[in-house]
Amino acid sequence: MMNEFIPFISSSINDTIASLSYFQSEATLLAGFILVILSDLFFSKKYPQLSFGLTISIILIVMVQSFGLLHIESKSLFGGMVILDHLSILFKILFCLVSLLFVLFIRYNRSLQQHEKGTGDLYAILLAVHLGMNLMAMSANLLMVYMALEMVSLGSYLMVGYISRDQKQSEASMKYALFGAVCSAIMLYGISLLYGFTGTLDLNDPSFITGLNNIPPMALGVSLIMVLIGIAFKLSVVPLHFWAPDVYEGAPTPVTAFLSTGPKIAGFALLIKFIAVINSLNIASFDINLMLASMAIVSMVLGNFAAIWQNNTKRMLAYSSIGHTGFMIMALFVSPGEGYKALIFYMFIYIIMNMAAFLIVDEIEEQTGKQNLDEYNGLGRQLSILMICFVLVLVSLTGLPPTVGFTAKFFVFSTALNAYNSSGSLIILMMIIIAAISTLVSLFYYLKVPLNAYLRESAYSGVRVSNTAKTYLSMFLAFLLLLLIVFPSLIEQFL
Amino acid sequence: MLSLLIFLPLVAALLILVLPSRFQQQYKYITLGVSLIQFVLSLFIYLKFNSSSLAAGISKESQYQLVEKLPWIRLNLGNIGSLEIDYFLGIDGLSMPFLILSALVTFVATLASWEIKTKLKAYFSLFLLLNTAVIGVFCALDFFLFYIFYELMLLPLYFLIGIWGGIRREYAAIKFFLYTLFGSVFMLLVIIGLYFSVINPATGNHTFNMILMMDPANYSYGSIFSAIADKNLFGISARLLAFIVLFVAFAIKVPIVPLHTWLPDAHVEAPTPVSIILAGLLLKVGGYGIIRICYSIFPDAAMQSAWWIGLIGVVSILYGALNALAQTDLKRLIAYSSVSHMGFVLLGIASSTTEGVSGAMLQMISHGGLSAMLFFLVGMIYDRVHDREIANFRGLAEIMPQFTAFVIIAFFASLGLPGFSAFMAEAFSLIGAFTSEQVNGLLPRWMAVAASIGILLSAAYFLWTLQRMFFGQTRLKGGEEWLSKLSDVNTREKFALIPLAALALALGIFPSLLFDKMNASVLAFVQLISG
Repeated sequence: MMNEFIPFISSSINDTIASLSYFQSEATLLAGFILVILSDLFFSKKYPQLSFGLTISIILIVMVQSFGLLHIESKSLFGGMVILDHLSILFKILFCLVSLLFVLFIRYNRSLQQHEKGTGDLYAILLAVHLGMNLMAMSANLLMVYMALEMVSLGSYLMVGYISRDQKQSEASMKYALFGAVCSAIMLYGISLLYGFTGTLDLNDPSFITGLNNIPPMALGVSLIMVLIGIAFKLSVVPLHFWAPDVYEGAPTPVTAFLSTGPKIAGFALLIKFIAVINSLNIASFDINLMLASMAIVSMVLGNFAAIWQNNTKRMLAYSSIGHTGFMIMALFVSPGEGYKALIFYMFIYIIMNMAAFLIVDEIEEQTGKQNLDEYNGLGRQLSILMICFVLVLVSLTGLPPTVGFTAKFFVFSTALNAYNSSGSLIILMMIIIAAISTLVSLFYYLKVPLNAYLRESAYSGVRVSNTAKTYLSMFLAFLLLLLIVFPSLIEQFL
Repeated sequence: MLSLLIFLPLVAALLILVLPSRFQQQYKYITLGVSLIQFVLSLFIYLKFNSSSLAAGISKESQYQLVEKLPWIRLNLGNIGSLEIDYFLGIDGLSMPFLILSALVTFVATLASWEIKTKLKAYFSLFLLLNTAVIGVFCALDFFLFYIFYELMLLPLYFLIGIWGGIRREYAAIKFFLYTLFGSVFMLLVIIGLYFSVINPATGNHTFNMILMMDPANYSYGSIFSAIADKNLFGISARLLAFIVLFVAFAIKVPIVPLHTWLPDAHVEAPTPVSIILAGLLLKVGGYGIIRICYSIFPDAAMQSAWWIGLIGVVSILYGALNALAQTDLKRLIAYSSVSHMGFVLLGIASSTTEGVSGAMLQMISHGGLSAMLFFLVGMIYDRVHDREIANFRGLAEIMPQFTAFVIIAFFASLGLPGFSAFMAEAFSLIGAFTSEQVNGLLPRWMAVAASIGILLSAAYFLWTLQRMFFGQTRLKGGEEWLSKLSDVNTREKFALIPLAALALALGIFPSLLFDKMNASVLAFVQLISG
């Protein structure tokens, strides 16, 4: 038995060694993970911010390494377990941006910094999750998909429950872990069904497609939906969004900001792969595209309408991010063939906007203790610069000029209308119109912030608070939003 | 040149933002300086303006003046080609008059801002940002750029009304914002649809160039908005639907009945300078958009809907006037009179005759000056006694003779007394509407007749108000206290009022000051839309 494999050993070793050179950024992350754990173990007393410095330099290195491989031809590595191409590298760069902002966010968040556990472990978890996200973006094998997804999930569970100060936070982390575990179990079951039907785990194996084409549509549908459930959980798309508002509210704000960007975008990277598989099937009776489109529509409608009735700012942003997910699914749905430019551009801007929004919400909470929208009265005077940034960020989230959120939305609408133009599909037109209406609806709740902060005065006229690092960071991000509408080519050239 | 005009206020706004607060008394002088420079520049543009028929503009790119064109965004979207967005500015006879109007109205509004006492830094920077956006809208020839400036007007106005407004300011600000955004979100979809339909013959790319959109030959065959393919959306012609969407977006700004309900609220709650800008400039953006975009890009659909647009115009004239008659708040009365007067603009445009379109253009400029003057006058009373109920004042002529003189000028000019600009403008609009049945058969005669009743009604409400507030025995609600506060016009206020009165008189006696400059463009426009 064993002897049959002996001739293959040398070739597979060669393949592995050849693949390693394309795996630098993952290797860096792995080394960084161990390094941060060790430094936290031995040096955390003497140099309390050592792990912060290490993490940030590791992420920067990973970013540089990813940029180095940017315009690469598609390469199959490690015997087809992962595929490295332009799109996956773009995703990796997006993840670097998320992690970078997240690390800075942790560094300047008071409740995490003052917690007795310290933040060293959190940085280590982040690097592991980052590795998982990178693998999600590259995986081309169902086993790899599942492993990467679990790696991200496990890390996220830990992050959500990292402080668990009160019951609410414990509830959030418990809910997240239970819900996530169920979803990934369902996904695993779906994967095993697919494996049973086709006899291969390789997504790009021709026999995978032919195998899928030969099974009854009903069975195929069930197994694909099961796999999609696991992804949809990461995306927090309706109907698998129930965890999001509670977890977003309960988790430490930096973690919320991370969850609403990093794993979500990684989920999109996976979804793109599955849509490619589904599109190459010739199934007539089971229309999974229709299902995705209706998920997009329902997410946009539900996310935006539910956000109107929220009073807690983080919950409001949670629902708004569900709406944005719906919008991004639309972008994914209408992206022609391989060019996901509009989607990637949108994601890039989405990361900046969402990170900035949570950064500002957190800063407001730390400075004034206010968590609810109706308490924001008079903040326009008290935290003037911060609130100006917040308004800019919210304007950008709505998608209005003079912020780049408009350009991003515009690109997506352009792509969508073009898709409608060439296909004439009614469902695309429906999505476009729903997206336009939900833009309008989103204004209702985004405007609540300036409404309270500027239009309503409060009796309280406390001392002006001094600007902190987080204020400067959000100023920088808000400035980016203004700068990029004038020079969108700063991002565009990499797409 | 045009960039200078647009971005000068923006630079000034940034300057105000970085200046420390102890200079806050100087902010208004910076703003005033900016508006004066703009006024001088726009006068210069006016004098240098080439009004020959070879520089008519409209649908010919080479005939535009002061053109600035730079490539801006070139995103390659894969198989659908690359996005071609230009920074493209230029003016013709239909946009040039608005530059002067913008500068003048901004100047007056700045003078009215002397009464703003709180949060000066935020106020003046938003004010200047708004100015940038308004002038940008009038100069932009790239639809994407136009849209950016168009949307950029929303935010400053929201804050200007919401922060410095009256008691119900929150409600008014959000109502204004939602109304306008409702129109413009769908406008965005039409813009993108147009983009995919139109191909720049020079480069072969799709383009946002408005001028190229006016030529049916540039539409690629089979695209949504191609006139030849005549595609349907939801059962009606795609071009007609797009026209309606764009028309509604701009008509909300104009505003038309029944989409006008934001206007009285916004005006009543807004501080005086914002009311001036709102009535003097923003309503004109709506009219300008209808001419430059709705009509020029979709002339076929416009001809089809002419009857309806004329009807909307007439209804706005009559409904606005009747509402004005019923108002007890002076500012609300003037707000409704705006609705009524802007109806003439629609009627003139709908007639699609040279007289009608010239009348509509003149009406916009004339009303821009006069409404600014009226709101300034209301603001003067309100600033003195914080009241503007008509019934609370009587016999003001005795205590404020100069003020009354200005009010009489403004009222008589607005109600269409010969010798003032509004008379010329309304007369031309009505002539256009009247001859339309003969010339192109678009509007029936009864519309012109019905609209002239509107003039009668406006005479009624203006004269009645004049009689109630200014004549008779002096009787004030606030008694002696008000009497001492109601001082007559001061020098600053004269500086604001005299140019406006002069404009109304000049355009009333020499309408050719404006007609000569825009005649070539109006002719080209009428030729374009009547095919």
